[in-house]
This record gives sequence, structure tokens and C-alpha cells, in this order.
Amino acid sequence: MLSFDQVDVAIAGVQILRQISFSIEPAETVALIGRNGAGKTTTLKSVMGLTQVRGTIRFDGKDLTAVAPAKRPRLGIGYAPEDRRLFSAFSVEENILMPGQVAGYSDAQLQAGLDRAYDILPELKALARRPAGMVSGGQGKMVALGRALMIGSRLIMLDEPFQGLAPALASRYAEALRALRDRDREVTLIITESNPGLLRRFADRALVIERGEVREGELDAEKVDA
Amino acid sequence: MNAQLFALAVFDGVAYAALVFMVAVGLTLIFGVLRILNVAHGSFYAIGAYLTASIGGAIFAAGYAPWLALPLMFLAAAIVGIVLGGPIERLLLRRIYAKEDALQLLVTFAVFMILEDVQRLIWGTQPYFEATALQQLGNIEVFGVFYTTYQLVVLPLVAITVLISLRLFLRKTLSGKLILAVTEDRETATAIGIDADKVYLLTFVVGAALAGFGGALASATTSVVPGMGADMIVLSFAVVATAGLGQIEGAAIAALLIGLGRSFAVYLMPELQVLIPYLIMLLVLLVRPEGLFGVVRTRKI
Ligand SMILES: Nc1ncnc2c1ncn2[C@@H]1O[C@H](COP(=O)(O)OP(=O)(O)OP(=O)(O)O)[C@@H](O)[C@H]1O
Ligand SMILES: [Mg+2]
Repeated sequence: MLSFDQVDVAIAGVQILRQISFSIEPAETVALIGRNGAGKTTTLKSVMGLTQVRGTIRFDGKDLTAVAPAKRPRLGIGYAPEDRRLFSAFSVEENILMPGQVAGYSDAQLQAGLDRAYDILPELKALARRPAGMVSGGQGKMVALGRALMIGSRLIMLDEPFQGLAPALASRYAEALRALRDRDREVTLIITESNPGLLRRFADRALVIERGEVREGELDAEKVDA
Repeated sequence: MNAQLFALAVFDGVAYAALVFMVAVGLTLIFGVLRILNVAHGSFYAIGAYLTASIGGAIFAAGYAPWLALPLMFLAAAIVGIVLGGPIERLLLRRIYAKEDALQLLVTFAVFMILEDVQRLIWGTQPYFEATALQQLGNIEVFGVFYTTYQLVVLPLVAITVLISLRLFLRKTLSGKLILAVTEDRETATAIGIDADKVYLLTFVVGAALAGFGGALASATTSVVPGMGADMIVLSFAVVATAGLGQIEGAAIAALLIGLGRSFAVYLMPELQVLIPYLIMLLVLLVRPEGLFGVVRTRKI
């Protein structure tokens, strides 16, 4: 459902990834593993069109590089960036709704998106009216996931969701991901992580990104020192 | 300074602040989103004034009803925003967002110079004066001072209405929310599907129309002459810098501060009249380099 074919990636003119190729099947949960600075974030950003790309990125058979970045989310791609990146001027619920509103969702679709987010992350309901600038870091990660759930009907990409979460919150987050898996079996998940042990229990596969290249890896065997 | 002079200075200051605010708020809005200091904003103000004074002069001389003065001002604002602002953003500014600040400043300065010449070509150098709106509304007496209703009541009310509507537009409508989202974080806005190019265009059109509206309102109170755009842009830069770049409510307060400072100088120290706004700005920036209401920007990588 998503494939990179000989893709070069540059940010601000600096080449970061060289000739990477990999392919992900529908409904897979893939862990994208790599140490700090390996290029995990850059790979996800490339799917969203936030980097300069040479080569082909296919999504559902379509050449993504021909789709304007702002049009990509409405293909069903939800993305939770590394450092939350919520819009602090708006409430938690406004943040969650925004990708749907931008995509021109009907009221029924928006409600369905909200239900999905609150189903998987019930704790967000209590925060709905709170300004997004006033939630804790951990809560912010949940909101960012909720926002990705609004539009991510086909693919959801989470960039280091566990980073900086206290153990209790991390296991709560993992529980939410399992709830998502159980609820929407057809959705594809890509989760980046520098510590692969965390994802052992629910990822199907690991892709390892190292020295600008991507290769298949074993979730149990991979030891990457962060 | 007796009570009447004091009242006069306050009234002058408030009326002037209302006009400066209309220009400064568009300037600061554009800066917040596009990260460009738009020197050509002064031309939008001047062209709004010229359009209103010249069209108004023609239609009122032809006997049309004076209440048309207000719709005419809206029309002038719309022309400035859509006919002038739209193409300037699309065809010119769009090419230079990634360039360094100095180049951007030079380009908008060039646009300003070109528009100055265009004004001379269309309207010549003779002053236009068209005060139907001001005369129609007459005078009111406050604290024993007679002052025009237009300047003392209408201008401040319009400025407050613009401030409140702009805030509501940004917070409550989807288009407004998109502007705020792009202002805060363009990359993430794109990643959730916001077309930043469209938001830039919308912001620029709205900002330019506000300046055009400011000029339209001003045209009833003063002769429209070459150079009025230059005076206004320098003054609104001072307001925007005093308030803090991108601060909308702050621009209203800074406009009031600078408007009042300027009008009191007129009565107390006329020789400092031109200087006072910049002295206020310098004082504020010495104490708070980010402006009265500005926040220090943490750079996002
Ligand atoms: N804006 C940028 N300009 C230049 N180089 C960059 C930029 N952003 C990232 N890089 C470089 O690209 C490489 C990959 O960065 P990336 O953020 O994708 O890594 P990552 O695997 O997500 O790391 P982390 O675990 O720290 O999040 C790094 O070497 C980084 O220094
Ligand atoms: Mg990263």
C-alpha cells in the first residue's frame, strides 16, 4: 500500500537519505527503527511531502510525488509528528477536528472521526475544551494521535510516540494502539522508534534505517542504542 | 494646557489612532502569516483614499445620495484587496518567500515605488478632497468641545468593530482558523491538509483590503495627496514594532499610544510632533525588544 522505490531525500538542499526502497502491505503494523538522526522522521515527512524527494513513492498504486502535499492527508493519511505540534490557539477538540474540516468532511464524517478518536482515546473527552497549549506533554501525544485518527482511514504514521512518556502513560498509549488495531483491522500503521523492544508486542515487521539505507530487520534481535 | 485643549488632544489622538490601526492591523496580520514586512501596504492605504475621494467626488457632484459614501468605502477596500493585493501576492510575493528578509523588503519597497508612480499617473499631483461623509454626520459637543461625529464616534467604532470581527473571524470561522494554524506552524498545517498557498493569498487580500479601508475612511478627513502612503507606512511600522510583530490587539493599543502621543505633541511640543511616534517606539523597544505584547519566538526546526 506504501512503497518507496530508489528514493533520495533532501531537506533544505542537504541530502539525507540515499536510494531507499521498501514496501509495506495493507493492514500491516510496521516498526521503523533507527538510532537518533538515522532518518526516521525524514522518511515520514517524505510521505507527507515535507521534504524534497527524487524517485517514486507509491500509495495505493498512486504516485504520491505527483500529489500536492496539502492534498495527501485526504487520501486517508494521518500523521502524528515527533514533537506533537498541536495548534495552541485551539482547543483539543478543534485540533482533532481540523484535518477533517480542511478535507471538507460532512458533519456525519466529522462526528465519525471524533467517535473514532474518543473510542480509542476516551481520556481526550475530558480535555475536549481545554486549549491545546495547556495540556501536558503526554496528553499532547494522545491529542496528536486523535488528530491523526480523524483523517487516517488508510494509513497512520506515528513518529516516536513513546518518547518522553512516563511508563504508566506509555503502557496506556500502547493499549490505545491495540484498541486501534482491534477496531480498524484494515488500517496500516507505521511507528518509528529508537527502542525496538517497545514495539515487539504489536508490530508485525521491523524496517531498520541505518546510514541512509533501509533494510528488513527482526524486532527481537534489533538492538539499537538510542 | 486647559481642559478644552486636553479634550481636543485626546479626540485628535483617538481619531488618528483609529486610522493608523486599520493599516497597522493588516500589516501585522500579513507579517504573522507570510513573514514579510510589506512596505507596499502604505500604497494600499493611499490608493484606498484616492479611489474613495475621486469616485466620491464624481458621484456626489452628479447628485447621488450622500449615504453612498459608506458603501463606496467598502468598494474601495475590496478593489484594493482583490484587484491589487491578490495579483501582487500571487505573481510576485509568492516567488520570494524562501528568500532572505533583506530581499523581501527590497521587493515590497519596489512595489511601493511603482504604485506611487501609478498613483501619480492616474490621479496627478493635485490634492483630492471629498468630505461628504464627514459633513453629513455633523458635529457633537463633548466636554464643551465641538468635534466631528465622524472622527470622534464613527472612526473609533469602526476600528473597534474591525478588531472584534477580525478576532471572531480568526477564532470562529474555518478560514480564520486556517490562518492561525499556518501562522503557528506552516509545516504541520500542510501535514494536516491545509493549503498554505491559499491561506497566504487570503491573508494578503484581507490585510490589503484593511489598509484600503483605512485610506477610504481617512479620505473624508484630509486631502488626499501624493506621499500620504509613505507617511502612513512609516507610522504603522512604528505601531507594529511597538506592539510586537503579529499582535492584533496589541496593534490597537500601540496605535492608541502613538496616536495620543502624536496629538499631545501637536499641542505641547509641536517641534516634536513628527518624532514622538518613533521616540515611543524606541523607548518600548529598549525595554522590551520583542514589543509590548510580542512573544520571543522559539525557532522550530
Ligand atoms: N532541517 C534539516 N536540515 C538539515 N539536516 C537535517 C534537517 N532535519 C534533519 N536533518 C538531518 O537529517 C538526518 C535525519 O534526521 P531525522 O530527524 O530524520 O532523524 P530521526 O531518525 O528522526 O532521529 P531522531 O531519533 O533524533 O528523531 C539527521 O542527520 C539530521 O541531522
Ligand atoms: Mg525523528
